[in-house]
Amino acid sequence: MQSYWFGDVEAGTCTPFFGDPRAIVERVSTITISTDTFVPLQWEEAVPCGVCRDRAEYLSTLREICFAAAESEIRGIYAEKDAELLQMVRMLDEMDTVINLLSERATDWHQIRHPTFSRKYHRTPAHILVRNMGEKSRGALGRVANQIESLSATRTDLAKEVSGRANQVIPNTSALIGGLVAARLVSQAGGLVQLARLPASAIQVIGARTALFAHLRSHTPSPKHGIIFQHRRVHNAPRPVRGRVARVLAGKLAIAAKIDLYRGVGAPEFIASAQEQIDAAGEGTKKE
Amino acid sequence: MIWKGEVLVSNGEGGVYNERMLGGARVWDPYRSKLAALYYVGTGIELTPEMRVLYLGAANGTTVSHLADYTEAVYAVEFAPRPMQDLLEVARRRRTIVPIMADASRPERYAPLVESVDLLYQDVAQPDQAAIAIRNCIFLKAGGNLILMLKTRSVDVRKDPGEVFRDTLDALTAAGLQIKESTWLVPYHNDHAAIVCTKPARAR
Repeated sequence: MQSYWFGDVEAGTCTPFFGDPRAIVERVSTITISTDTFVPLQWEEAVPCGVCRDRAEYLSTLREICFAAAESEIRGIYAEKDAELLQMVRMLDEMDTVINLLSERATDWHQIRHPTFSRKYHRTPAHILVRNMGEKSRGALGRVANQIESLSATRTDLAKEVSGRANQVIPNTSALIGGLVAARLVSQAGGLVQLARLPASAIQVIGARTALFAHLRSHTPSPKHGIIFQHRRVHNAPRPVRGRVARVLAGKLAIAAKIDLYRGVGAPEFIASAQEQIDAAGEGTKKE
Repeated sequence: MIWKGEVLVSNGEGGVYNERMLGGARVWDPYRSKLAALYYVGTGIELTPEMRVLYLGAANGTTVSHLADYTEAVYAVEFAPRPMQDLLEVARRRRTIVPIMADASRPERYAPLVESVDLLYQDVAQPDQAAIAIRNCIFLKAGGNLILMLKTRSVDVRKDPGEVFRDTLDALTAAGLQIKESTWLVPYHNDHAAIVCTKPARAR
């Protein structure tokens, strides 16, 4: 017997399957086919089956079903809780780049207008400088500076939203490393499913691609940490134990990502014991 | 194939991807579409109005839209949701396209939807491109053709493209396909080759 989307065909007789597109899609997904005995579909078989009268109707019915299937599949993928988080954190990182570029350019422009201006020995942070430019500069420069400032404000809001969303979507990973860095890990891995499938050693060096490949190619020292360096317990750890902290943290993150994917809720007892072990990794050799 | 002077075109509703129009026909740009490039550098397969096509790796539907202008039906298989959104939009305006969201390396999943076809066209960025093509030959009529757009860099970045090319030709021949034409797509696409094969009349 051969099963097709419109019904089952056996020895020239067809048992049609009628239903709305969703029911047909449902049925098609349950059909299993062995490629050895498979006979490709001949559309003419659908006519005696009573599914369609002619070629045009055959194609339009099939199209309707395929559209329904694809649309529901896309909707399903986008509805996964990490889909929007991914876009949010990528937008955030993109905004950082843009804000820095624009600020640098605006400062250069400002220097031309003020030949005696120099940033040397000034403690003015870049965003204050931009604000001053916005208030004091004439014409386009002033307007650009104002735009940069409002972009920065949006960026700050977005950062809060990212870590808030991360706390909901990936509660355990966020608890270990903070929402923002957790979101970046998911983004770099390509999604929560992908992150949960990575071994701890890979999580440890996510974001250190150049160093990793330099190591693999020409035996430079292996990278100790990628973006997990952004976490305070890694970058505050004394140099000799920093690699160990990163390793233990990555190990716990690999477990946390799996809990986030398969359980989806916070696991306080796991977090507590994980935090303890990560702290212990940092303290062990503090006296050295 | 329809040529207006030196320019390959297809007849259909324009504006799919802001393509240039030439005397009411859509210009088929060899720099954007590998299939168009094949017609520029080689022979390819003459597309006819009664032809049915299975297209693996349909992406945003650029090439699909031109192919659909020439043929009777195109089954367009694409896996990733983002390009699929574009493909659906193209398919809404072209009644000859049947969009299928599925993984081209698992033909058994979409086998209940696809009829037997005259032409199998494949352009997927996967390491096992030859194996995917061979597996999908179950849909190909005896005497039907396969056009494989080989992305050598997707097979193995470290391997020499020429070597990947030869390995793929061997794999296709070993699977019982007859190689009709094989060519690199320079200057339009670097490290990409087109392989045209025929499925012999006897089943393998």
